[in-house]
Amino acid sequence: MTDYQDTYWQYISSGKLCLQFCPACAQYIFYPRELCPNCLQSGLEWKEVTGKGLVYSYTIVHVSALPDFQEETPYIYALIELAERIRMPSNLINCSLDMIRVGLPVEVAFIERNGKTLPVFKPIQEVFETSNKPKNKEGAS
Amino acid sequence: METMFHPGLASIVGIGELKTSLDIGGKSSLDLMAEAAALAIQDAGLLKNDVDGLLVTPPSEDSYFLWPSQVAEYLQLSPVFMNMVELGGASAAATIARAALLVDAGICKNCLCLSGGIWDKQVFNTLEGKMAVMSQAEIDYDLPYGPMGFNSSYALIARRHMYEYGTTPEQLAKITVDQRINAMANPDALFKKSITVPDVLASPLIVDPLHLLEIVRPCNGAAAVLVSRFSPSEYNNHPPVTIRGFGEAYTHNSIAYAPSLTESPIKMASSRAFQMAGVEVKDIDLVSLYDCYTITVLISLEDIGFCPKGEGGKFVENTDLTYTGALPCNTHGGQLSCGQASFAGGMSHVTEAVRQLRGEAGPRQVKKNCLAIVNGNGGVMSTQCCLILGRGKA
Repeated sequence: MTDYQDTYWQYISSGKLCLQFCPACAQYIFYPRELCPNCLQSGLEWKEVTGKGLVYSYTIVHVSALPDFQEETPYIYALIELAERIRMPSNLINCSLDMIRVGLPVEVAFIERNGKTLPVFKPIQEVFETSNKPKNKEGAS
Repeated sequence: METMFHPGLASIVGIGELKTSLDIGGKSSLDLMAEAAALAIQDAGLLKNDVDGLLVTPPSEDSYFLWPSQVAEYLQLSPVFMNMVELGGASAAATIARAALLVDAGICKNCLCLSGGIWDKQVFNTLEGKMAVMSQAEIDYDLPYGPMGFNSSYALIARRHMYEYGTTPEQLAKITVDQRINAMANPDALFKKSITVPDVLASPLIVDPLHLLEIVRPCNGAAAVLVSRFSPSEYNNHPPVTIRGFGEAYTHNSIAYAPSLTESPIKMASSRAFQMAGVEVKDIDLVSLYDCYTITVLISLEDIGFCPKGEGGKFVENTDLTYTGALPCNTHGGQLSCGQASFAGGMSHVTEAVRQLRGEAGPRQVKKNCLAIVNGNGGVMSTQCCLILGRGKA
């Protein structure tokens, strides 16, 4: 495991969602790596983020071949856009199949799966801005 | 940008394609690829020793190591140039673009583009099989959440397109239905049962909003295309088909990190291809679009410019995409009706366009067959290669 993979998961284990940040480019980076993908310089910093975001898109998986998920269908697999404009694949907890929608406000939570702490997301009431604005605001979800 | 490519100097002189199957009866990818190569060489009226270039797509089950060399050894070829092209589903189309460059530059006289694969259910549907097609970043930060390979990624795209533009499941299903009408006129199609939009929507939801009949069926097959310098006489009695231009574009690997879920690099790839060929979208008579899922076709139609962004749903709803329609699309039935024979699935879009441009598509022959656009799409709308093919001299 690389140092940056190790650092990410160590923060997660302590209940913190931290992302790399490039001071020169003033942007967050996900997934973790050695160099900033924009300026290709090293020296990335770790910063704890708000953990708040919106469901950017999702699917309800009805057929899964993955050993950990075969018995869990149907389950929600979602792409979350954080307030920091970063997108992360994840799962939702405390969210029924009826509640899920694109644009649903969510906040990070932590679960244990296979002896490993994982960041997932749970619905919240708060309203805030990300880049997640539909071009057609009446769009159905 | 001006290039030094000469539109129409490279032409497609031979095609060979095996009928796709679900049971391959103990053959390997190499066996199938050799069969397809022999058919293409025969179709061109050439001899095996005339082949001096070899571009292969990756193996589905064998070792990648020295793969072009493994293929050349099986075929007993001694090419002056060979390479493997790995751009996922865009690989097959990309071999044609590279062959055109080699022929255009005078490096090769007859370049064989070869693709094939077998489907092993034991591998495909296991954790190991899923991990084999994932990047390390996907294994680390995506796999723990239960993605179902490409299925769930394309479902994210479809859901987002529905959210942004109000696209409906019925509109997506229409793509499968029109392509199935095409397949019913293709004796070599894997699925030829007539289906309706309600049938597609009644098929099991695999990854909501995508249904079983909107997703390709992996299968076995192989296809080969021979690219040579244009010569008015040497086509073994087939009308010549020339390569007028190509364009490629890449913006991401995983859909999670794509600039947009609903706007693909096909927009840039097709625009480059049109510019190179000196033609416009209105000049196109038929389209051969990579169709791993229905949503792929819809976004391709938008990004190539057949309709404005976001209107793909209405466009497919109101446009007859069958071989008798206003915009014939995937007239062989596409991968959605012929199956996806690994990397050869993308070659089927090339071979079908060539049949149509030659006027050799039999009962599914389209009436207007001067100019076709072919798109190869790899990953999750990640790697794109557009080809403009034309009947006769440029």
